Order: sequence, then C-alpha cells, then structure tokens
Amino acid sequence: MKWRTYFTIVGLGALLLAGYNSNVWANFTSPYDPTADTATSDNKKQEASDLSLKSEEFTLVDESGDIKEVNFETDKPDTSSGIVPTNLKIPSLDIDEPVSKVGILDSGQMGVPKDDKTVGWFEPGTKPGNTGNAVMAGHVDNQSGPAVFFYLDDLQKGDEVIVTNEEGKELTFVVQKLESYPRNDAPIEKVFGKTNKKRLNLITCTGNFNYDKGTHEERLVVYTELKSSLDKEQPKEDADYEIKAPTHVEVNGTFITWHAVRVDGVAGYRVYRSEDGENFKKVASISEHERKTYTDPEASKYTYYVTTVYLDGTESEPSKPTKAE
Amino acid sequence: MKTLKKAVVMFMAIMLLIPSLAMAHEGETHDKPTSKTPAADLRAGLDQLLSEHFVLATTAMIKDYNDAEDADEVYKKLDQNAKDMTPVIASIYGEEAAAKFEDIFLGHNDYTPDFVEAKVNNDKEARQAAEAEVDEFVNQFSSFLAKATEGNLPQEKAAKVLAAHEQDVINVFDYYVAGEYKKAYEAFREGFDRMFTISKALSSAIVTQMPEKFEGTKAVTPAADLRSQLNSLAAEHFALAVLGMQKGYNQAEDYDFVTWAENMNTQDFTKAIESIYGAEAASQFQKIWQKNHIQAQGQLVTATLENDKEARMAAEQSLQTFAETLGEFLGKATGGNLPADAATNALWAHEEDVIQTFDHYVAGDYQATYESFRDGYGFMFGVGEKLSDAIVKQMPDKFSTEQMPSDMPKTGMGGTATNSLWTWAAFGALVLISGGFMIRKKAQQ
Repeated sequence: MKWRTYFTIVGLGALLLAGYNSNVWANFTSPYDPTADTATSDNKKQEASDLSLKSEEFTLVDESGDIKEVNFETDKPDTSSGIVPTNLKIPSLDIDEPVSKVGILDSGQMGVPKDDKTVGWFEPGTKPGNTGNAVMAGHVDNQSGPAVFFYLDDLQKGDEVIVTNEEGKELTFVVQKLESYPRNDAPIEKVFGKTNKKRLNLITCTGNFNYDKGTHEERLVVYTELKSSLDKEQPKEDADYEIKAPTHVEVNGTFITWHAVRVDGVAGYRVYRSEDGENFKKVASISEHERKTYTDPEASKYTYYVTTVYLDGTESEPSKPTKAE
Repeated sequence: MKTLKKAVVMFMAIMLLIPSLAMAHEGETHDKPTSKTPAADLRAGLDQLLSEHFVLATTAMIKDYNDAEDADEVYKKLDQNAKDMTPVIASIYGEEAAAKFEDIFLGHNDYTPDFVEAKVNNDKEARQAAEAEVDEFVNQFSSFLAKATEGNLPQEKAAKVLAAHEQDVINVFDYYVAGEYKKAYEAFREGFDRMFTISKALSSAIVTQMPEKFEGTKAVTPAADLRSQLNSLAAEHFALAVLGMQKGYNQAEDYDFVTWAENMNTQDFTKAIESIYGAEAASQFQKIWQKNHIQAQGQLVTATLENDKEARMAAEQSLQTFAETLGEFLGKATGGNLPADAATNALWAHEEDVIQTFDHYVAGDYQATYESFRDGYGFMFGVGEKLSDAIVKQMPDKFSTEQMPSDMPKTGMGGTATNSLWTWAAFGALVLISGGFMIRKKAQQ
C-alpha cells in the first residue's frame, strides 16, 4: 500500500521533471513567450481598431438639421500641419541637435541614430504636428560619457520642445509628463499607437546599465503635445465635457434602456452584454439622437453595460452592469 | 379605416347619450357577463373624457411653459374636451345642469395657464391666487356633483378626489419645471391613473342613482373593470407614444423619461395580460409589444431626424408586422372571440393614428396634430371595449358577477321568529333533553 503511494508520487514527480527538462511547460509558464506575445498584441490592435469610431457607427444630426455620418478615422486626424523634422531644440536643456530618420530594425525594435549627438525620428510613424504620436529617440550616454538626451529626465511639465524642418518651419511642443518603463514592458500602443492628440514623444534609456544585456534597464518617455492645439483643446477638455458613463441602465422586458448623457460632444452609446457577467461583448451602437433603447429578445439572459462615446472617439468607463430583475 | 373609426366614435357617443335605447335587450345582460352594458359604457365614456382632460392639461402647461408653437392648439383641445363632456351630462341631468357643469369645468381650465404664467414670472402671489382658484373649483364642482348625484357621490369624497387630481396636474408641472423628470412622469402616471378612479366613482354614483336608465346594469363589475383597465393601458400607451415621439424629434431633455414611462406602461400591460393568460403568454406579448412597436416608433423618429426614407419605410413595415403579430396573438389568446383580422386592422388603425399625429407635428400643422391626437386617443377606448368584450366572452366564469339583489329578501311572515337565536337554542335544548329522556327511558325499560 504505502509502496504504491510512494511510487505514484515519485512517478508523478519524475514526469514533471521530465516535462520540465524537455521544455513542454514553457508554453504554459513563460509570460514572455514570443508567439503568445504577438498574438495578444495583435488582438489588442484588433480591439483597438474595433473600438475606434468606424465610419457610420454613429450618425450625427446637428441643430441645423444637417446630417453627417461620422468617420473619425479618416476625417478627424489632421495630417496637414506635420513636418519632416531635421532639427530638435530643447531650450531648457540647451539641446539643439540635428534629427535623422530611423525605421524598424530586423529585431522589431525602433532604430536608433548611429551617432550619439543626433536624434532619431521614427519615420514610419507620425510626422510631428500631425494628429498621432510622433516619436523621437536619442542616446542617453555612450561608453565614455553623456549623449544628446543625457539630461532628458530633468525636463518638467510645461518645458518646450521645438522641432524644425528643412525649410525652417517651427513647431513647438509642450512637455506633459515623463514616464519610465521597464525595458521589456513599455506600453508600445501608448507611445506609438493612435491618439486624437498631436503628440511628440521623446525616448531615451534610463535606469542602471545591464552589462549582460548591453542596455539600460528602463526607458524614459517624455510625452509632449503641440502647443497650438493645446491652446485650442484646453478649454474644451475642461469645460465642454467630462467623460461620463450613462446612468439608469435598466432591463425592461426585451428593452435595455439608459439615460442620455446630456453634455456636448456625445456621438452615441455602445451597448455591451455578457452571459457570465465578466466577459462583455459589444452588441450595438446607438447614436446620440436615437431612442436610448436596445432591443434584445433574450435580454433576460444577459448582463449589460453601456458606455458613452464622444465625438473625438473617447469612450467612457462602463456604466454599472445591469440585468433583468 | 377612418370611416370605421368615425363609426366607432359615433357609436360610443350615441351609447353615451342614450344608454337606455342602445341596450334595449332586457334580461340578456343578466345571463352572461359582458363588458358592454349601459353602465359600463357610461364608465368608459367618462374614462375617456376625464383621462384625456388630464393628458391635455399637463401637456398644455408644459408646452406653454416652453413657449412651444403648439401650446395654443393644445389649450384649444383642452377646452374642446370639456365641451364634449357637456352632452354627456345633459343626457343624464338635463340641459340646465349641463350648462352649469360647462361653466364650472371650462372655468377651471382657465387656471391652467395662470400656473404657467406665475411660474414663468416667478410670481408667488399669482401662484397663490391660482391655487386659491383651484380650491374654489374643487368646492364648487364637488358640491355640483354631490347635488347632481343626490349624494350618491358624497361631496366630501368628490372634493377629496378632485383636489388630488388638481395636485397631480400641478405636481407634473412643478417637477417638470424643476427638471425632476422622473418625478414628473411618475406624477403623470399616478395622475392619469387617478382619472380612472374618478370615472369609476362617478359612473357608479350615477348608475346607482338612476338604475332604470342603465337597465339595472352596474358600472363596477369584473367585466367593466377589465374594460376600464384596458382603456387605461391602451390610452396611456397612445398618449405616451405621441408625447415620446415629439420629445424624441425635439431631442428634448425629458425624452428618456417619457420612454421610461412607456416602459412602465408596457410592464403594467404585460401584468394585465399575465393575470388573464398566464406568464408565458405575457412574456410573448411583451416581446411583440416592444420589438416591432415601441422600438419601431423610436426608429420612425430617428428616420425622420436623419431624413432617411428607407429607414422610415422600414419602421412603417415593422409597425405593420407588429399589427399582424399582435393581431394573431390576440386572435389566438381570445380563442377567436376577437378575430385576428379585426385585431390587426384595429392595431394598424392605431399605428396610423400615431404616425399621422407625428407627421402633422413634424410638418408644423398643429391643428391637424391634435385633431389626430384626439381621434387616436378616443380610438384606444374602442380597443379596450372590443378586447375586453372578447376576453369576457371567452371566460364568462372568470368575469361572472354574483347576482346580488340590492336588498335582503323579506322571508319572514310575521313576528314569530324575531329572535331566532333563542329559538334555535331552545330547539337544541329540547333535542338534548328529549334525547336524555329517551336514553333514560331506554335504561328504565
């Protein structure tokens, strides 16, 4: 009896060990599995594009009675004011250096300029001044001493960053915030992805140098925004609307109803439902001027929440989840 | 369809005016329960006029407050509604009483704009004056009713219910102005419901006062109650549908609250169906009612706002589908007592009313809007009548009244049994004694 138990345990242990050795567990345990990683980031992208305002998701009826379909992805981004940068100035850090173009390396990383005085503009991405995240990177140091972005972490909110193109056109960006991320875990989407703002993000290394990996442990990102668009946007953000989720979400028979968010700048609402109360799926988009009702013959089976979507594509937090009483 | 509706309206008017002629089959009403009796007709007629009064009064005040273009037209219809009550009163109490009634009742409509004006000017004195006038109306009208019904509706009771009604109207208005829309529509629903309580009490008092005029039928029977309940649900639905579509078209702040009230009406309707046909049928009803009906009316508004002809056609198509599916449902549910075809036709006529009222409103033709509103509103009482009739016919047992005489029978012949308890006690004692006597006798033998 005891022997049998003993052998079972030893046998199981042996199996586990064997598995460990032949690496079959790697897929289950390693969070950094490269294939899994790309899969999730793909999903994220998919999600992100699903969630951004597709053309005709909402119809807008303005007060004069004019009707336009909303297609934020192509209408909204301003691509007229961007420039190809050739020079970067940061007066508060006494930086005034040339800018060169960089691309994507075979490894998938963003390229960096060859010399430590030049700043690299990520050319496949957004041009500075256009709607989106324009990105520049510079070295923090070299083997012997400081490089162009050595003092970048001294920047403070409100400092100015000036970009110039060949013809001398100047765009001024204003520092919004500084954030450091672990080398392997930077929010790529946030730094490089879509935004409705006109941003320029500066990247450099920070943290301790890891001699094994040959790189610094952290990356510093300085988020800046175009000054002229800030002037325009500031009052709008503060006064015009706050991001509010709909209230009074109720299930009445086959109807899911809620109350309109009565502020300017609402494009419509998205209705999400879930069978288990955890995983929600979008089932409908309702424009601002429509009856705030979604009909679902099976409404009694699901939990619902509703979000408010603003004209710039911002989506509110979910409302309180609700189901039939 | 229109002619059929006109016919229904005329028919109802005639029934109201001369109930004794319209229902001249004697005795028949006693055999089987029915929701179509002279007394039930009177009650339904009052249901219609009184509840319409409430809807128009609250609507007019809010439109007036908002300085809406159609406010005047609603006021006109409010007065027209009052004038429509006069012939009903005349048919019961004669011309003189009817004239006095019109005087009092039309006068009280005049206070309605006073409230609005007081609010707009934020004039507290004017508000108090208006309130005082309402109090006076309550006194005057309750004493009129008590006198007319020869106390069958006691003045105190009448005054209480009239005061409650006036408060309902004021509550709807005050909450609306304060932006408390949920409370405003709660008050609307409560106030709307109260009108049916008033017509119940009033019709009952009149019928009790003049049993012969109503052929001994009662205003309050299970069948008449069902008819009145369906009247209330159907009419409230129509009123809210019209109001909601207007609010949706105007993108009014209280739109979501009208739709909330509509949902509550749906819930009540579903419960009513459940009480008759059970939970499964009720949930079926609710699905039909919401999907191609309430939602489609919303879609019609959206289509209009977007100027989208295809969407408009689709919404109308949905409403047609609704008329067919609910017609079929009702045909089946009533076991054919309300034929599916007839039901579908009536439902579509109703949808046409809704669409027409809305279209006139959008076109800015407010006279036509509110004429069509009044037609459509009245039509719902035909729906209540037909549907209740079919249901009662289908389930006579459920709606049968215990035949109750108005007095206890006179079954005594003289004074011998005046103290029957003692008679029985004495009898019992006699039985016991004699029983004991018998046993003793047996033992002795």
